[in-house]
Amino acid sequence: MADAGSDSAQEVGSEASTPSSSKRVMSLLSVLEISVTEPERRTGVTAINMKETYTVYLVETRITDMKSELLPETFTDETFSLWRRYSEFELLRNYLCVTYPAVVIPPLPEKKIHMMWQKLSGGEDKFDPDFIERRRAGLESFLLRVAAHGQLSQDKIFHSFLHQGEGWKEAVLATGYQNKMDSRLKTLNAQFRLKNPDRRFQDLKNYSSELEANIANLLKIRERLAERLYGIHKIHANYGRVFSEWSGIEKEMGDGLQSAGHFMDVYAASIDSMLEEEDTYADALKEYLYFADALRSICRKQELLQYEVEKLEDKLVYLSSQKQQMEQGVDVKSGFSLKGMTTKLFGADTPEVREKKIKQLEEQIQQTEEQLQAAKWELSTYIERSLQDVERFKRQKVRDLREIFINYSIMQIKLCKKGISLWNNTKECFTKM
Amino acid sequence: MADGTDSGFSEGQPSGPGGYSGPISPDIDPLNITTSTVDLEESLDMGAEGDAKSTRDDITALTQSSLAGLRLDDALASDVHDLFVTVDDPEKHITNMESYITYRVTTKTTRSDYDSHEYVVRRRYQDFLWLRERLEATNPTHLIPPLPEKHSFRRLDRFSPEFLKTRQAALQKFLSRIVDHPTLSFNENLTIFLTAKELASHRKQAQGIMGKMGSSMRSMAAGYMLKNRSPEYATMQEYVNTFGAKMGTIDRINQRLLKEMTDYQQDLREFGPVFTLWSNSETELAPAMLGMAGGVEKCEKALEQQISDQEHVFAPPVKEYILYAEAMKAVLKRRDSIQMEYELTIEELNRKRNDREQLKMSDQSYSLGAFLGKDPEEVRQQKRTKLDTQIEELLKQVEVSNDSVECANADLKADLERWHRNKRRDVKEVFSELCDRNIQYYQECLSAWEETLQEINQKSELETASTLATPTSSCPATPNLATPTSSITPPLPATPTKDGTEGGAGDGEKQ
Repeated sequence: MADAGSDSAQEVGSEASTPSSSKRVMSLLSVLEISVTEPERRTGVTAINMKETYTVYLVETRITDMKSELLPETFTDETFSLWRRYSEFELLRNYLCVTYPAVVIPPLPEKKIHMMWQKLSGGEDKFDPDFIERRRAGLESFLLRVAAHGQLSQDKIFHSFLHQGEGWKEAVLATGYQNKMDSRLKTLNAQFRLKNPDRRFQDLKNYSSELEANIANLLKIRERLAERLYGIHKIHANYGRVFSEWSGIEKEMGDGLQSAGHFMDVYAASIDSMLEEEDTYADALKEYLYFADALRSICRKQELLQYEVEKLEDKLVYLSSQKQQMEQGVDVKSGFSLKGMTTKLFGADTPEVREKKIKQLEEQIQQTEEQLQAAKWELSTYIERSLQDVERFKRQKVRDLREIFINYSIMQIKLCKKGISLWNNTKECFTKM
Repeated sequence: MADGTDSGFSEGQPSGPGGYSGPISPDIDPLNITTSTVDLEESLDMGAEGDAKSTRDDITALTQSSLAGLRLDDALASDVHDLFVTVDDPEKHITNMESYITYRVTTKTTRSDYDSHEYVVRRRYQDFLWLRERLEATNPTHLIPPLPEKHSFRRLDRFSPEFLKTRQAALQKFLSRIVDHPTLSFNENLTIFLTAKELASHRKQAQGIMGKMGSSMRSMAAGYMLKNRSPEYATMQEYVNTFGAKMGTIDRINQRLLKEMTDYQQDLREFGPVFTLWSNSETELAPAMLGMAGGVEKCEKALEQQISDQEHVFAPPVKEYILYAEAMKAVLKRRDSIQMEYELTIEELNRKRNDREQLKMSDQSYSLGAFLGKDPEEVRQQKRTKLDTQIEELLKQVEVSNDSVECANADLKADLERWHRNKRRDVKEVFSELCDRNIQYYQECLSAWEETLQEINQKSELETASTLATPTSSCPATPNLATPTSSITPPLPATPTKDGTEGGAGDGEKQ
């Protein structure tokens, strides 16, 4: 279902509210190169004194424009590198999620293998070189996306992630972001019954589910296809072997068969590099699988905020009617009212007590009204910001997905051309026999 | 080239006449070459060899240009071919007892030993089997071409059109090879097969089962016991064994390939629709996704064709050569047994000669005859006469046997030479064909993906150019984030249109 999220009014409105808006915002990425390389195994000790092995990655940065204003002040060295492990990336991401709730935060590569079909391809072992390499690529992509985001790229914690060797973890914890996180995390898991769910976010939720389902499906089938194609090519190596053996007993046909066998071996070997390339596109698609999750969490936050608003509205209505009843209770002489009954039974409040109660209620009402205003303001700001970032995300998504499809098609074209050339060569071996 | 007669064999050498197997039935003739029938009939009426040859040249020219499916089986310039046979038109017959298929066998000939110029009969597989058995029995020294196997295992349906087509082609080839053989083509069993209205009565002739068994037992032992077998026969034996084994391996590889390719095709069938389904959630990317779906579908179709070709065009000739290797083993055995007989005869002769020598010096006084009252000298004389007769018989037998051996060797040599020539040509053609099919498959896939690429790129021209990788980009490993992307919308110039087509420039489009 197509997402009908924002309209032009949203975007125009958002321009004014976001800081540093200009025609085309350059982000940190335009002056800084980031790469994640050289995974290495380390051993260390956990918090409970148990030995552990883990992988660290080298995060390198290189400044391409030393004079740029976009550069944080702390970035003084043209090139800089430091080691980071996966849990630190996770920490960074959690921090960003809590600190910028209205932003679609880029995903990290998976921590564990959770899909069956991945297990089959040997990715289960977290020290498997293939798994580590693909994770490395995912981590790099994460950093690049953060650096490309106008708002995220300006975050100090992000900067120090890139440039602060010691004490970065402590710095993150010092921000106290966890406090913000805990209270919200608990409620984030609940479902919210909203009286007037926002249509835009409902659509967004549906869209993200579809996106996730479609990509998951695609990846599953492509994995199967890759295995089959691999099998088909490798079987041709058997042709190579039998042609070679056969050539031994033939006189005139010997040379032709021998060369043909050689080409069959080439054909069999040619699939490896193609499948490696295809893996990178599959990984790029997988990123968007996780992005779907990020979209959903945006929706959940909106629901939470709206829930707060509705709750407060309800409270206000209740308090107001309480007050009304209180006030009416003074004048009622005729007609049945519960207050009247209890008054008769237990004695009425004295006028002073009643006054006090009414005053209390008025205070509460005042308080609630203020809270409601604040909640409403928070909700509307959130909606504005999040929808705007969702739009940015969507545009990026279109670009990214299109590029993936283009590259995949180019790869297929390359494969076909290789195949044509190879079978032509093989044919020549036979026609010249 | 999936025509009916020869699975995958294209024409042979244009020089000289060959075993032109006759016109193809229009039903299974994709190249529509039945027009050649008319020319052929006219040419066959000419009796003179010279005329026939020039017409053959015409035929050959015609063959070259349009009859790519017909096969000239024998390139010997000296052979005269005046017998042409076609197999076509499979028909199903259902009786109370069984159901079976018959094929129409059409013969056209100018030979004088045939009563008529043309014959049309219907034959079933059993009849072909009979013919082959008879040929083997009457021509033990010759290599008899193989018949396709009785049962097909891959397709359990023995009446499926593909199976019938393949079998028909194999039967055609079988007959063509016989007709092209200088000796076999004159065999009376062949004549009966081609001309008799009804074969059942002929088939009931005693086939000499006991004799067959006896000779087969002898031939089994022959190979091991031959004393004077020339090493070339051992070489031949080795070659045939290895060749047969290699053909078997190739056949098994084929089967595996077919299975994998079929599985791959199944998965491809699921792959395309996922893109189509996904395109329903997207507006801007929908054309690109539909383009992907289209590309995958076209590849799947190409693969379907490739699988069919692999199974019906490439596999049958390989199987046939496996059977040919078996036929060669059989004829080698028979040759061995003929030589065996010769050697046994010589042994016998030598034994008798030895006996005769012994007799001269022996003392017959203690022989049985003397015991019965005969004069020992007379006994000696009698025995001597008997031995002389035997030796004379044996000498004759040895001569005959020697002739047999020489004939057998000559026949075998000639047949093998012919076989090697044909094999080389067949291998060239069959495997070139296989390569062609693969090339075609990849070409179809190539154009499918080029089209897809175009469709994907079409939309992109309307997008911000700076953020796109051009088709010539060489390192697409990570998603393109090299150029800055803004998290904040630049001023939106145009209002987005509903149907997803961009009204204005800039990246203010939806999704």
